[in-house]
Amino acid sequence: MAGPLALAVVAGLAALSFLMRGAGPFLASIPPGISARMAGLAPALLAGLVAIELTNARGLLHLDVKVVAVVVAAGLAAVRAPLLVSVIAGALVAAVLRLTLHA
Amino acid sequence: MRPLRSILLRTTPIALAVGAFGVSFGVLAVGVGFPGWSVVLMSVLVFAGSAQFAAVGVIAAGGGWVAAVVTGALLNLRYLATGIAVARSLPGGRLRRALLGQLVVDESFALALADGAPGRPDGRTLIAAGAYIYLTWVAGTVLGVLLGPVLGDPMRLGMDAALPALFVALLWPMLAGHRAVRCALAGAAVALLLAPFTPGGVPLAGAAVVGLWLAR
Repeated sequence: MAGPLALAVVAGLAALSFLMRGAGPFLASIPPGISARMAGLAPALLAGLVAIELTNARGLLHLDVKVVAVVVAAGLAAVRAPLLVSVIAGALVAAVLRLTLHA
Repeated sequence: MRPLRSILLRTTPIALAVGAFGVSFGVLAVGVGFPGWSVVLMSVLVFAGSAQFAAVGVIAAGGGWVAAVVTGALLNLRYLATGIAVARSLPGGRLRRALLGQLVVDESFALALADGAPGRPDGRTLIAAGAYIYLTWVAGTVLGVLLGPVLGDPMRLGMDAALPALFVALLWPMLAGHRAVRCALAGAAVALLLAPFTPGGVPLAGAAVVGLWLAR
């Protein structure tokens, strides 16, 4: 990947994060209506990211070991496993399945 | 007032977990093609795990830098609210408090809430725990960037599956209540519907809009 692209991502995200974290002392408070709506952002975005990761360019489910990894990670999260355990288990399951299927 | 030593002791397991998370971020970001220096710089300047992973995920999925920045920033919007919540607990003038507010992450905020009075998170805990977690996050990222190339082909190792696994693991605990479930299902559906017809970034913007719309 080109350096300028990576730098643009880093600089843009850093600037916006800095402003959001630092705005507190300059703001009174957020109206409850707006913060209630903001609560919907994270689940919608994360679910959208999962959906995009698991599908191909035509929007069809891309049958890959990633699907199994996601199911395993979701199962672990459902039993309140720490985040990192879910992530590592997902990556391990995918790696083991790939080695077995392509051996 | 809780002694500094006790704050740091209590933060240690959390800081170590965040450090390990930083290692996986470093490995993954280098694995999808980010230059090592930019990965470390991102952890130094952004200090927000899910936003950084999401931005890297957008680029890995073929999106542009604007889409990556907007997606990451939207996931960080909650820091506007936490920033307001901690503003009164921090010492100094507005500028100093805005700078100290950069130490807010979910983990340091939770510890500060536990140590503080209701509605008033503990400023000392926030600063000490935040600084500690920041150090392990950056150190973990550096380690991950160094380890990444040694680990070899990311596809074979299954690191590409770590991204969706992470997103689903972050999502799951949020799915308490029918509103959140509705937002998640609609977000996924809109992203899938838009993905074949629009450039990278638009599907997630669509997901964000329905999330805002259906949240109440």
